[in-house]
Amino acid sequence: MKTGFVKLALPAIAILLAVGLAFATEEEPMLQVAHYYHPIEGWQTTMVDENCINGNQIPCTQDGYQLYEEPSFSSRELRKD
Amino acid sequence: MNGQCNIKYKGTIVEAICLLYTVLFVYAGSSKLLGLGDFKAQLAQTGVLAPFAGWVAWFVPLVEILLAILLLTKAFRLAALYGALVLMALFTTYIAWMLRFSEHIPCSCGGVISSMGWKSHLVFNACWMVLALIGIVLMENKKSNFKNTVQ
Repeated sequence: MKTGFVKLALPAIAILLAVGLAFATEEEPMLQVAHYYHPIEGWQTTMVDENCINGNQIPCTQDGYQLYEEPSFSSRELRKD
Repeated sequence: MNGQCNIKYKGTIVEAICLLYTVLFVYAGSSKLLGLGDFKAQLAQTGVLAPFAGWVAWFVPLVEILLAILLLTKAFRLAALYGALVLMALFTTYIAWMLRFSEHIPCSCGGVISSMGWKSHLVFNACWMVLALIGIVLMENKKSNFKNTVQ
């Protein structure tokens, strides 16, 4: 009787815990639009996380191409720390 | 007596592994479903999955939740552990791909797991794969021991 209860209660608690955690930790990701120049397709748009918005050491790239804040070589190059 | 105790001990380990996987899959699946729009957008940024982003965004969390349910069902537990191992292997391949080509794209892993870096995510997945392997080995051993006893 006791084992049966534990076998039923434990999975139920586990599922409730997981769903509760999913709701509790739901947050808006800090994403920003970024641009890179593809030699054939021209300026392309992609998304970057906040590391590339605030950093300034390692270049952020997409398929090896430098990412920029705007679709222009004169705009800020995106970098992360 | 010692053998019986050993079987019970192994059974508890398998139960614990399945319960942990259930928490992980239900959490990751519901987080992805809660942020479905973002999940789709992130998948669309990854070159290789971009054409299928729409249905992958639904398929992945639904498979995770289905596996979580199967892990709690004794009859399907072994199959579900194999499924969990395969899913984790697929995630790990995806992470390795992202590390190679698009490291700046945030992980679309669901919930707080997304805040891990790609490299720590690789280690995290490896640990879960080891857990699934332990569960599979223990269950397969139990199955073959049972067959030998019957014969």
